[in-house]
Amino acid sequence: MVEILIVGAVSSAIYAMLAVGFTLIFGVARVLNLAHGSFYALGAYGAYFFTSTLKMPLALGALLSVALVAAFGIGVERVLIRPMRKSQLAVLMISLAVALVIEQALFLTFGSEYRNVPAFVDTKFRIGHVDIGGARLLALGVSVVLIGALWLFIQKTRVGSAILAISQDPVAAQYMGIPSDRIFAVVMGLSAALAAAAGILAGPFLTVQPTMWLLPIVKAFAIVVVGGLGSIPGSILAALMLGYAETIVGYTVSTSWTEIVSVLATLLMLVIRPAGIFGRRAAF
Amino acid sequence: MFGRRIDRLGVAAFVVFMALLPLVFPGNYLIGVLTVSVIYGIWAVSWDFMSGLTGRENFGHSLFIGVGAYTAGFMNTSFGLNGWWSLPAAMLVAMLFALLIGLPTLRLKGPYFALAMLSGAVIMQRLMLIFWEQTGGEEGINGLEPLIRSQLGFYYFALAALCAITALLALLARSHWGLILRAIKGDEATCQAAGINVTLYKIVSLIISAAFAGAGGAMYAHYQLQVSPQLFAVVTSITIITMVYVGGMGSIYGPVGGAILLVLLTELLRRFGEWRLMIYSVTLILILFFLPNGLIAPIWRRVRATWERRT
Repeated sequence: MVEILIVGAVSSAIYAMLAVGFTLIFGVARVLNLAHGSFYALGAYGAYFFTSTLKMPLALGALLSVALVAAFGIGVERVLIRPMRKSQLAVLMISLAVALVIEQALFLTFGSEYRNVPAFVDTKFRIGHVDIGGARLLALGVSVVLIGALWLFIQKTRVGSAILAISQDPVAAQYMGIPSDRIFAVVMGLSAALAAAAGILAGPFLTVQPTMWLLPIVKAFAIVVVGGLGSIPGSILAALMLGYAETIVGYTVSTSWTEIVSVLATLLMLVIRPAGIFGRRAAF
Repeated sequence: MFGRRIDRLGVAAFVVFMALLPLVFPGNYLIGVLTVSVIYGIWAVSWDFMSGLTGRENFGHSLFIGVGAYTAGFMNTSFGLNGWWSLPAAMLVAMLFALLIGLPTLRLKGPYFALAMLSGAVIMQRLMLIFWEQTGGEEGINGLEPLIRSQLGFYYFALAALCAITALLALLARSHWGLILRAIKGDEATCQAAGINVTLYKIVSLIISAAFAGAGGAMYAHYQLQVSPQLFAVVTSITIITMVYVGGMGSIYGPVGGAILLVLLTELLRRFGEWRLMIYSVTLILILFFLPNGLIAPIWRRVRATWERRT
């Protein structure tokens, strides 16, 4: 029971970090970024490369990796996505193509075998009568802090107000003199950084290989549909629901069936309430 | 069906060229490459019928291909049914999946359909690996029987199937039905206001598209004599979409040319081995940027225009 509670919380936290960034860039720029999972993969590979190949200390490698992925995300938005923004489908196409290029680049440089991302904490902690890996607990803690910080950033700062304004009405925001292109770059950077951080934190206990971007994007999509496209509270709530639903199915039925949960949730939600739990109006 | 003489000439030239190629350059290697290119042609044209005409991009065509191929695999090896039963069965199963995903997603605006198809394909691939006891896991299903023993015979069968499917879809695309699909791409709200049941048209088109993709999947299974979860891979869908983009979206005949051209070019790229997929994805990005109308359909339109000016 305690195990379900904690393991479920950890996977929910990872999902939330992925889904919040995915929904943020959609809510603000109306960009559905299929390369979002690739930022997660790049984060994990970056940490692996800096620590294993360049022998850097993990903390430095992790920070460098997050910063580089954020810069890369901003670059992708500027060069590839911005010229295509008129058509949502062109954005989907181009971001999917980018995801594939990244997968192939990772495959060509690192090969297809699994890589080990070192954990910040290797010890196991005893909670109740179950052992939980320190890496998992750290992932849970850091993701709560990061999402909380993002929330404060959006609610309290000037840039945050600009993000809110654009998500509520892009045209009116432009009339008020908000430089929307620059805000998009900020949001893209934040969203890529969150995904990269998720990859680094989940790296020690999940598999790191070139195709690792695929399942996260499927999960992020399911979460965002259930929570409501563009809604951050919605995606946090939906991440908790999906994380726990998968963990419970995994413990009570069989781990084989966990993958079906997200697709079932997506299809059911689209039938019952396509706008998601928090709908589109309550964007933040 | 093809109104203009130049179009009829073009089709005839294409069919004669494809039919004569293996006779002029005999050898099983070329026949194999051509067979694969023709099957990709079926997949590309079926993708284009739904997504090219309505503008609703399908990122998981491999889902229909995969379920078609696995249906053929199970029917042929587990139940020992004759290979020819695979084709209708694969079409039916693929249509069922189209209904399952199309029904909740195609009534919505926005990117739900594109993403649900992608998710569907990814999850099906995972399921094939997870339930390896039934599906053979990474190995897939082996030991299918060929539909036609002679390689050349099967190639001609596939070519005939491609021509028949393309002709049927081109006919549909030119009919009233196709006009409505194009109108949906142009302005969905207006179509709805005109009393057209937009959702019905989109779902039925997806079902038609899925049926032929499934049939192509079954043909591919009976050609490779095995089925693997790799068929569901996102790469398969992306390859098909690239072919359609190269051919020219929404033109029906263009994607066939795009598929054959790209499969033949891929063979030339074979010595780049691991770089092949990288080259594919970069090609797609370049085409999206510099040739949004594709390559084959615009060239053919130009050929047609010069021809008509002369006569």
